[in-house]
This record gives sequence, structure tokens and C-alpha cells, in this order.
Amino acid sequence: MRRPAKTCPVCESGARVLDYKDERTLGRFLTERGKILPSRLSGMCARHQRQLATAIKRARQLALLPYIKGYGG
Amino acid sequence: MTRRYETVYIFDSALEEPQVNEKLERFHALITKDSKGTVGNVAHWGKRTLTYRLKKKDTGYYVVVQFETEPALLPEYERALKLDESLLRFLTVVNEGEPPKPVEAPVIAALEEELGEDEEA
Repeated sequence: MRRPAKTCPVCESGARVLDYKDERTLGRFLTERGKILPSRLSGMCARHQRQLATAIKRARQLALLPYIKGYGG
Repeated sequence: MTRRYETVYIFDSALEEPQVNEKLERFHALITKDSKGTVGNVAHWGKRTLTYRLKKKDTGYYVVVQFETEPALLPEYERALKLDESLLRFLTVVNEGEPPKPVEAPVIAALEEELGEDEEA
């Protein structure tokens, strides 16, 4: 059975851009190991998924988000 | 032609605010040289825990600065930042369009709802 099409959570919220400094929101779109959730799971439209990827990568550089979660301690 | 930029600095948390301000002043002199640029909003986030260690430090002092300057002044500015030992890391990005504002609480709630659904799947 096909699941109904999801709507993009960012479009729905009315926000145009994702802020790389907002690590609480970005953190919702990581797997438990710290990988970026695919749009299949995040439900994001293509534009916001691209923005999300860039924002998460910037946040990682700034040590706001981990590259790998739960590794080494 | 000036462009809008935004820099996030992560200083060594051993520095106190006056020392940080003094360094910021020195850096910002480079981008406002000959009145070719202006520094806008300077936000001190203060001490925060890093998600991974930088230069063997677990905490950093974060400062976010928005400014407008000539692109030609940036290489020299970034070189000065790289040479500073007490600056653990920095990131400069072009800040186009509206200044980014923090996402409001209802937005976060909406995202949570959406993700809760996904985790069950």
C-alpha cells in the first residue's frame, strides 16, 4: 500500500529558509547516528532538502551538530 | 559594491568577554577599512558545549556577527582569523535575502509532529 504523499514540514511551517545556527530544528532531521535523513523520511520538498543538507553541513563545521553521534564518547 | 556576510566565531572559552571584544574590534577593523564596510548585529551566544572537541577543548565561546563589506577585503580578514590561536574555528557565509531570524516555537512543534510520524513508520 502506498502511503499518502507527505507535505514538506518547512513549507508547512511557513519558513522560507533553514538557519544553520538553529541546531535544535536541524537535529530533528538526523538519524540516531547523526546522518542526514533522506527526503523519503524527512518528507521535505527538493528545495528544502537541499537547504537542509547545506545547513546541517555548516552546523557540523561549527560543532553545533555531530558528524557521527555516539562514537568514542 | 558591498555584500552582506555573516561570520560565526568560536573562541577558546578561557577568554573572558572583554578579551573577546578586543579581538573582535581588531578583526572588524579589517573589514571596515577606509569605511568600505559596516558591522551590523553582534550577538554573543557565550559559552557552549561543543559536540566534538576542537583543539582539545570541550567548550567554546560563540559570537555571531553580521556585516557588510567589499569582497576584496575578505581574504585578508580571514587570514587574520586563521592566524589567531585562541579562535578555535570560524565560518563566514554570504548572507543574502532577509536576515535569518530564529524559527518560532510553533514551527518546531510542527516539525516534531511530522517526525514523530516518521519514526513509527
